[in-house]
Amino acid sequence: MTIFDTIKQVMSDLLDVDINDITEDSSPDNIEKWDSLFHIKLIIALEVELDIQLTPEDAMDMLSAKLIKLIIEEKMK
Amino acid sequence: MMSDLKTPTDYARKFKKIKQSNRNLINLNIAYLSSYTSEILEPYIGVELSQYNFLGKQYFAPFNQFEQEVFDKNSLLFKHNPDIIIIHNMLEDMYPNLVARFSSYSQSELLTIAKNIISRYESILKAVRENSNSIIICINFSAINYQTNELVHSLTMHMKNNYIHELNIKILSLCSSISSCYTLNCASVISQVGLDNWVDQKLYLMAKIPFSHYGQIALGKSIARMIHSIKNQPSKCLVFDLDNTIWSGVIGEDGLHGIQISDSYPGNSFKNFQRTILKLYDQGIFLAVASKNNINDALEVFRNHSDCLIKEKHLSAMEINWNDKATSIQKIAKKLNIGLESIVFFDDNPSERSLVSNYLPDVKVIDVPTNHMLYSDVLNNSGYFDIISITEDDRNRTNMIKQNVQREQLKDKSRDLSVFLSGLNIQVNVGFVTDATISRAVQLINKTNQFNLTTQRYSEVEVRNFIDLGFIVLYLQTSDRFGDSGISGVAIIKNHNNIWMIDSFLLSCRVLGKKIETVFLSEIISIVKSKGAIMLQGEYKPTTKNNITSSFYKNHGFKMINKKINILEYDLSTIPKNIDYIKINRIIK
Repeated sequence: MTIFDTIKQVMSDLLDVDINDITEDSSPDNIEKWDSLFHIKLIIALEVELDIQLTPEDAMDMLSAKLIKLIIEEKMK
Repeated sequence: MMSDLKTPTDYARKFKKIKQSNRNLINLNIAYLSSYTSEILEPYIGVELSQYNFLGKQYFAPFNQFEQEVFDKNSLLFKHNPDIIIIHNMLEDMYPNLVARFSSYSQSELLTIAKNIISRYESILKAVRENSNSIIICINFSAINYQTNELVHSLTMHMKNNYIHELNIKILSLCSSISSCYTLNCASVISQVGLDNWVDQKLYLMAKIPFSHYGQIALGKSIARMIHSIKNQPSKCLVFDLDNTIWSGVIGEDGLHGIQISDSYPGNSFKNFQRTILKLYDQGIFLAVASKNNINDALEVFRNHSDCLIKEKHLSAMEINWNDKATSIQKIAKKLNIGLESIVFFDDNPSERSLVSNYLPDVKVIDVPTNHMLYSDVLNNSGYFDIISITEDDRNRTNMIKQNVQREQLKDKSRDLSVFLSGLNIQVNVGFVTDATISRAVQLINKTNQFNLTTQRYSEVEVRNFIDLGFIVLYLQTSDRFGDSGISGVAIIKNHNNIWMIDSFLLSCRVLGKKIETVFLSEIISIVKSKGAIMLQGEYKPTTKNNITSSFYKNHGFKMINKKINILEYDLSTIPKNIDYIKINRIIK
């Protein structure tokens, strides 16, 4: 599983949407349930699933699935 | 039980499944009022509640909206029609400086703050009670949150801890003065995960969530377990094995000096487990032994092994023989007059456990680990003996049952039952339920299954309502020459235009067989007459457990007036039965 697969899986579990509906373009603009509470849940879950630490600044920059992927890939290098 | 769930995604997945499944769960409306963002708890509370067969419909008020929600009858909180309201106001949210700079406060400032906090809680809790019958769970303050990892003058630290401790005692006594209001000890929840795992500064500062996902899981678990123990009656009896359960080794083979109970390993592990068992005894739980052994071998340990803390006096029943354990447990249940569903079974032998599970599915069988050092944890964590309020009768109950056993022995001796009964000097007190007796009355209303004509369950709030409406709510208390059985019966008689209807009539099984029910009914008849009744009716609602009461009204002169719904009527001009060997006192208050 790639990092992006894990991200998609976590997002689909937390948002209760089909995993195939999540793409790099997914963002709060096109996913209705992506509110601030979901964003926090996502940060907590990604930290646990990928065993990483995200800062509040990271969280604020994670404005789309693509950005989440890039920020995390950078962390895990 | 759900230890396989560890991560937020595990819980999210499981929560989705619970919501979609058509499992038969009991609906509970839960409302959460807090000084922080509590919505994050939804999947944790939801998943943990499901293992107690509840489906929580949860409402989370926006943070710090205590007064706004509870003072307004039409608030979203009350629109949610909550069965349970959880209140958690954290000290650092109310007074951020207080916990960080405690020593900068003067004694009089501290007193004023404490007074303000308590009066705020009081007005919130009272407003909830005025607008709703819901159960209230108040999460208290935790001193361990505010421990800092620095070496400080210990007096300062103790003063801060003591201050928080005293606040908690005040909250506890406030909650006890409000019906169906309980406190959940926050420090216990934190200590389950440890302080380092509990806090998450990032979540608190970014999103006003004061705890990490470990903390969220632990809090969800504690809340669910608390709700379970409020809604369900605790088990009444622990039945345990002897060999390799309360001591190491086999008494029949290893002998008195070969088995191990001591202050060194491994005997100390078993001695500790005995202490855990005796803690249940202190709580009023019956202890009983089911063991395959020669009785004399086992008795020798109880009598002559100085490290064996459990003695015969702690045991309400002993089945030490070569019967299978299902038979032994049934005998214990019969002897103690309790249902199989209120028995918990603890045995190191998996084949005995599986036999009991198969033959007696109502008995709660503990999944005992092979590692004896975990015995106490497993028993404590089972939650079967969780009690959220202890009544005076609970403390006396184990004594009462022993008196019952003495009574049975007297019964054996005096063959003629009427001679036996008149020799008992039975006294019955009948009185109106008041503040002093209501909690025991409500307990009986909610747990009596067998001698219960209608099996109507009511909360304390509902019973208080009946009293306020002028209905007759009576308790019955009995004693005889062997001792006091305490409050062991309740009746509720409702009035509609002087037609009185016995809505509830129930007696604890431990007082049956002496015609006490007859004098209780006679008292009811004379009380309603004195209130100017023109008619007295009774109702019988059959259940799987109350067959013993099916002809009760008929045998006491009631005539069936509605066969379909089992309503019977009593001709008030007839003189009710009297039992000459029972002395009745009516407590007028």
